[in-house]
Amino acid sequence: MTTTATTPTRPNTADRTTPDITPRRVLRSEWHKLWTLRSTWITLALTVVLTVGVGVAITATYESGGGDSDMDAVLLVLLGMQFTQITIGVLGILVTAGEYSTGMIRSSLTVVPRRLPVLWSKAAVLGAVAFTVVLATNFVTFPLAQAFLSDTDQSASLGDPGVVRALVGNAAGLALLGVLALGIGSLIRSVPGSIGVLIGAVMILPEVLAILPYEVTDAVVRHLPAQALMSLTHAQPAPDIASPGSALLSLVLWAAATLATAALLLKRRDV
Amino acid sequence: MITAQQLTKRYGNRTAVSDLSFTVRPGTVTGFLGPNGAGKSTTMRMILGLDSPTRGRATIGDRAYAAHPAPLREVGALLEARSVHPGRTAYHHLMTLAHTHGIPRSRVEHVLDLTGLTDAAHRRIKGFSLGMGQRLGIAAALLGDPATVILDEPVNGLDPEGVLWIRTLLKSLAAQGRTVFVSSHLMSEMALTAEHLVIIGRGRLLADTTVADFIRESGAGTVKVVTPEATTLAGLLSGPGVDITRDTPGTLLIHGTDAEHIGRTAATHGIPLFELTPSAASLEEAFMELTRDAVEFAATVEGAAA
Repeated sequence: MTTTATTPTRPNTADRTTPDITPRRVLRSEWHKLWTLRSTWITLALTVVLTVGVGVAITATYESGGGDSDMDAVLLVLLGMQFTQITIGVLGILVTAGEYSTGMIRSSLTVVPRRLPVLWSKAAVLGAVAFTVVLATNFVTFPLAQAFLSDTDQSASLGDPGVVRALVGNAAGLALLGVLALGIGSLIRSVPGSIGVLIGAVMILPEVLAILPYEVTDAVVRHLPAQALMSLTHAQPAPDIASPGSALLSLVLWAAATLATAALLLKRRDV
Repeated sequence: MITAQQLTKRYGNRTAVSDLSFTVRPGTVTGFLGPNGAGKSTTMRMILGLDSPTRGRATIGDRAYAAHPAPLREVGALLEARSVHPGRTAYHHLMTLAHTHGIPRSRVEHVLDLTGLTDAAHRRIKGFSLGMGQRLGIAAALLGDPATVILDEPVNGLDPEGVLWIRTLLKSLAAQGRTVFVSSHLMSEMALTAEHLVIIGRGRLLADTTVADFIRESGAGTVKVVTPEATTLAGLLSGPGVDITRDTPGTLLIHGTDAEHIGRTAATHGIPLFELTPSAASLEEAFMELTRDAVEFAATVEGAAA
C-alpha cells in the first residue's frame, strides 16, 4: 500500500458556497446506500421471482370449480405476497437495523447529526423502490398468469373492474409494510430481533387474534397490516374484508405510527 | 475550537464522564489521554452529538455540532468503534457520506489517494485489514475538508509506517490552522505528536497542560549510579528533596539532584563510580503515576507496570 503524506488542501470548488445538508442530498445518500449493498438486489430479486413464480405455479395447475374458485382473481394471481411481505419486510429492516448491527449508523448520524432526515429519507427511498418494483412485477405477473386461466372460471383481464386498482393497491400495501418494517428495525436496532417482531406481530398475532370468539377482534384483525394488505389485493369486494379505502388508510396509519415512534426514539436515544 | 463545559455522562449508577471542562484550540495537536475506560470515547461521542450528556454541553466553534448547517465541513471524525457497512466498497462508503453535503466525487477520490486507499477503493470493506479500516476512517474524517478533526485512537492497528504517516498528517493539519483533537491511551505516542494534553481518568480531568510542562513537572529525572560504596555515597547525598532508592546491591537510583553534584560529591570523598547515568523521567511512568488512582482496572495496569 502506498502512503502519501501530501498535505490535504482545502478544495476551492464552487460548491463550497452551498455545502449544507439538504433533504434532497440526504435522499440521494440513502438512494446510494440502498443500491450499493448486495442484500438489496437479493431481496428485490427474490420478491420478483417469488411473485411471478408462485403466480405461475398456482395458475398453471388451476382447475375450474376447485377449492380456489371463489378466490378473488387478483389475489389468486398474487398469492406470492405471502412470501414477498417477508422479503420486502426484511429489506426494510436491513435499511435501518442493518446499520446498527454493522455500526454504519454511527457514520450516518455523525454526518447528519439532526438524525431525522436520515430516517425520513430511508423511508421515502424504500417506499418508492418497493412500490415501483412490486408494481412492475404485478403488471407482468397478472397477464402472464392469466394466460393459464383463459378457459377457466378465473379468467380476467386488466380491463375488468377493480383489477388495476388491486394490482396497484397490492404494491402500495407492500411498500407500506416495508416502511413499517423499516420503523421496527429502527426501534429494535437488531436484524434478527426485528425480523422476529415483524413475523410475530404482523403475521402470527393476527392468526391468534382471529381464533378468539369476539366480534370486536374480527373488526380489529381486518385492519391489521397483513390483513389490510390482503384486502387491498382484492379486485372485488368480499364480505369479511375491509374496503380498499379503509385498508389503505389502516396501513398508512400503521406505517406512520411506527415511523413516528421510531423518529421520537431516534432523536432521544444515544447511538 | 472545541469547548467542553461541565460535561457529565451517567449510565445508570456508573458515571462515565464527570464534570469535564476543557478547550481544544486551533493550530496545535491536542492529545486526549487516559487509560482504557477513562471516558475518552464517551466524551468524543458527546462532542459529536452521538451521546447526549447527562449534564453540561460541548460546542464546536460557537454552537453545538448538530446545529451546524454543514457539519462535515466543521468536523471530521474517526470513531473508535467500527462505523462502516462491511458489504460496501470503500468508494461507495465515502460516496454515501459525501452525497449528504453535496461533496463531489473528485474529493472522494482525493481522500482515497491521500490515505493510500486508491487501489483498494473498489474492494468491499469486509476484506480490509485493521490498518486499512483505520485509513478509511481517516479518509471519511477528511472528506469535508473540516476545520476540526477528532480522531479516537487513530494509530490502533496501524503498522509503523502508518503510525508515522498519522503523526505527519496530524501535524500538517494543525499547521494549516485546524483544530486537531486526538485520543490515545499511550503517553509515548502523544509525546511525539501532540503539543497540548488533556488527561482524564475515571471521567475526571486530571491535567490540562502542554507536553513540555508535563515533562518538566513530572520530575527532574533520575540518575543511576553504580558504585562499590553505595551506602556511603547514599549517606552523603541524602537531604531534603533527594530520594534515593537501591536497585541491586551497588546500584542507586537518585531522584532530586543532578549528575554533576553526584559526581563532584563522589570525587571529593574519593568514592569510585562505575556508572553515572542521568535519564529523563519516563513520560509513560509519569502518566501512569498521574492516572494510578483513576484507572478502571487497577490490578491489570499495576501488573503491567511492574
